[in-house]
Amino acid sequence: MAKNLTRREFVVLAGASTTGAVLFAACNIPEAEFVVQSPTQLPEDLVRGIDAWYATTLCCEGGDSVIVRVMEGRAKKIAGNPDFPINLGKQNVRAESALQMLYHPDRIKTPLARRSKGAPLRPVLWDEAEAQLKGWAEGSGGRITIATNPMRGHAAWVVGNFAKEYGGRHIAFDPLDQGTLHAAIKKVFGQDRLPEFDIENAQTILSIGADWLGTWVSPTRYGVKYGQFRQGEARTRRGMLFHAESRMPLTAAAADRWLPVRPGAEGDLALGVAHEIIEKKLVPDANVQAYLAGINRAVVDAYTADRVTRATGLSAERIHELAEKLAHEGPSLVIGGGSAGAHTNGVQNLSAIYALNYLLGSVGARGGVWFNPPSPFEGVPDSATGASFAEWEKELAGWRAGNVSTLILREANVVHGLPRSADPVGAIAKVEHVVAFATVLDDTTELADLVLPEHSALEDWGTDVPEPGPGYPLVAFQQPVVGAAYTRDGAEKLSDSRGFADTLLRVSGGKAGGDSMRDVVNKAARALFARKGGSVTAPTEELFLKGVLARGGWWDGSRRQATAAARPGTLVDGELRSEFSETEAEVSGEELHLVPFAHQSLMNGRLAAAPWAQATPDPITSAVWATWAELNPETAARLDVREGDRLIIRSSLGEIEALAYVHPAAAPDTVAVPVGQGHASYGRYARGRGANVLSILVDKKDSETGALAWAATRVKVSKAGGALRVPKFEGSGEVARQAEPGVPVITVREGESAEDAKHRLESGHKVLE
Amino acid sequence: MVSPAQDVASHSWGMAVDIDRCIGCQACVVACQAENNLPINEEDHFHQARAFEWIRVERYWEGEFPNIKAHFIPILCQHCENAPCEPVCPVYATYHNDQGMNVQVYNRCVGTRYCANGCPYHVRFFNYWEPVWPESLRNQLNPDVTVRSRGVMEKCSFCIQRIRRGRIDARKEGRQVRDGEIQPACVQACPTNTLVFGDLNDPTSRVSKLRNDRRSYRLLNDTLRTEPNVYYLARVDTTEAEAAHG
Repeated sequence: MAKNLTRREFVVLAGASTTGAVLFAACNIPEAEFVVQSPTQLPEDLVRGIDAWYATTLCCEGGDSVIVRVMEGRAKKIAGNPDFPINLGKQNVRAESALQMLYHPDRIKTPLARRSKGAPLRPVLWDEAEAQLKGWAEGSGGRITIATNPMRGHAAWVVGNFAKEYGGRHIAFDPLDQGTLHAAIKKVFGQDRLPEFDIENAQTILSIGADWLGTWVSPTRYGVKYGQFRQGEARTRRGMLFHAESRMPLTAAAADRWLPVRPGAEGDLALGVAHEIIEKKLVPDANVQAYLAGINRAVVDAYTADRVTRATGLSAERIHELAEKLAHEGPSLVIGGGSAGAHTNGVQNLSAIYALNYLLGSVGARGGVWFNPPSPFEGVPDSATGASFAEWEKELAGWRAGNVSTLILREANVVHGLPRSADPVGAIAKVEHVVAFATVLDDTTELADLVLPEHSALEDWGTDVPEPGPGYPLVAFQQPVVGAAYTRDGAEKLSDSRGFADTLLRVSGGKAGGDSMRDVVNKAARALFARKGGSVTAPTEELFLKGVLARGGWWDGSRRQATAAARPGTLVDGELRSEFSETEAEVSGEELHLVPFAHQSLMNGRLAAAPWAQATPDPITSAVWATWAELNPETAARLDVREGDRLIIRSSLGEIEALAYVHPAAAPDTVAVPVGQGHASYGRYARGRGANVLSILVDKKDSETGALAWAATRVKVSKAGGALRVPKFEGSGEVARQAEPGVPVITVREGESAEDAKHRLESGHKVLE
Repeated sequence: MVSPAQDVASHSWGMAVDIDRCIGCQACVVACQAENNLPINEEDHFHQARAFEWIRVERYWEGEFPNIKAHFIPILCQHCENAPCEPVCPVYATYHNDQGMNVQVYNRCVGTRYCANGCPYHVRFFNYWEPVWPESLRNQLNPDVTVRSRGVMEKCSFCIQRIRRGRIDARKEGRQVRDGEIQPACVQACPTNTLVFGDLNDPTSRVSKLRNDRRSYRLLNDTLRTEPNVYYLARVDTTEAEAAHG
């Protein structure tokens, strides 16, 4: 794009011919008039040499809205929607991969069906395929399950309606599910939706386990806020960030202080900080009373500095420093999630962490935690998380017992994402009819009897209610930004795909909520039009729809949620104890905590099919296209391991092989392995690449929610023999480059100039340039 | 009305990189690849140290576990005023234009690679192979940017195609380019606003103000006098003094 499209200028680029006038408004921005036309009805994206930018959402984590450059009917570039309050024109490393999924060379071209179990998949017509699906759904007698990724907005509403229509069930799957996070937010704040964190106005932030700058919840939005937190022009002081986690993710790398807490002791750290603050009377009594409404005083008293030091591995000085900064250098904010919630006491850990916000007076305060209103659409899901592992075990038991005759799969790669102990392959084999919607066949959809090619995110209709929202009602709109993708010579379609929710609507005869998703989206826009006000106002419903599509969504900053939180009930009334899996005594190797982590560009493996995602260097190791295992240099020395050595990582449920990466910031008692690789099928770029660490997780669960305690597995690590080069961007042969002469990073003290810093460092024999 | 000559003469494009904001997320890297038709970096290309990244994020360590820190710094062509890559090119494929940019003319390049040898920042990339995309993925290629062929050197262009479009749009409207109106793909993507692009000739532009910030410095300029048009703002380390004393 040639211009920085601040505010709403991009809609003008969407077309030149006039179909009406729409008024756009937003909080603090004066109304202005723009001439727009519906991007979905335009012929001009076929005009040679003229581009257009259309707004849509990729319906992925965070709910970012994007604008897509379309030229001659082809999508060329994705950028953040500059007008959308969630991501404010910015994007994360994963957004561009949607282009490669749209034009993926391994997209499923036509519906495919097997004549019998075990027979090969053969092309069939859409009419036959839909008739087959309809017959199976109607004949299921209520024994039907729809398994999808965690979904929000109207597509999720349609899926729920479809399941209800046929007496079945909708279950969501997320291998690194956030169930404990949602449960803790509900317990601590009484909220059904994740809260908004006022990062940009905080002075001190403690985050525990949540890699909010990398892969956790809404990283683009948090990245925008982080920039303000550090060097915002309106700030008088730079914010200070502490991050506690056993592994160093992006958030820890960005932190002023990384606190490598032992796995499972995250809640102990939170209680230790509370103990320090209360004992030293660092905050007003009212805050202490609010905090102790949820946390048993005797428990807090028990978490002395000595005890917390033993549990966490952090020094008493560090805990004291943390308590002092949080209490005295506010506004302060405490965030928890990720690995901190992935233990057998995950909800308790997170409850102890989030309760600190009461102690610091941060609930509903500037620079603290704010809450979000429910969806503007009644009954439409505005919060999504995967079903717990316990629920999945129950569901799979139902499949094995023949309680499910028809299974519909969509972006629920359970074969890749569930631990081996769950035996998803065996369970799917017992289901009579398996239907899969997919863009590219993956480990699970390969097992289907009927495969239906699904639109990519850039071809589909829908809405999203981003979670967390910005503190006021907001909806993102999804629209097709390109028509069907063709081969370059125009001879054939790349994929004769259809929308997932659209197909469910057609199969149900409209009973799942409408005739088409376009119709459903139109109705959604009409409902917003009837509310009057918000970011788009127009004289007619039709113009309003065009306005929200051109703008990428609708929001109403005047309706900020009241900040009162429900007073917490009992959160922690006993000591925190996390349990870990056992390893087998007869197996040799170094016993370590296994720390699986979401890959920066592949996430949980969802984007492994996209070559850009595969080739993007991991920010810390710079590794690409592979699975690596991060070991502390001392641990590696004990094992006589060097970079590239093939390692066997063995839990009590199985083993994987990964290449060693000797990592100076790895904790000595851990081995960290990225999630995302190890696909038996997922297109040419993912197939047979690396190893799947999820497969060896032991089925430990959070005691309250039944969520998989994916950070509670212990493993034995040994050499497999032989070595390969770790594919990575950083020069080979270098374990790590220290800041030393020739290295281009200069760090200054607060208020110091770069020149002064250079002189200081030179005089200290540490020349940086 | 702004004449083309006035327009050209009035700009000196530059970038500020505030590494205190950088989180190393790589959004800039992928945005650049999508915008500028960079070839797919396959696994072998990394083994051969021939992967293409016009902008890359380097990571440096400081200290030892547990008191260890990672520092990120995005590195791209510095568009030096005294560019070591320019005088060595026998065919004038790389030269300095009148808007402060180091420019590469692909169809002049004969692939001597002298420029890459001369560049101290390692930001030039040579096409050892003809770039290959599966047919369907070619749909995504940006028609504003040449696909470079085998034997040609390439590097960051500050997204010159966007600069040209921005200038043409401004000229059509009879005005100067507004500050922040033109953004290279990396700047547009960066979630933390680490990267700021603009006209160094305009003293009111954001990039000009950041150039004059106390934290501003330029890579290798003290020793090599390359006079880069990319300015870095040092990372602030509030715990650094303490770490220095153990």
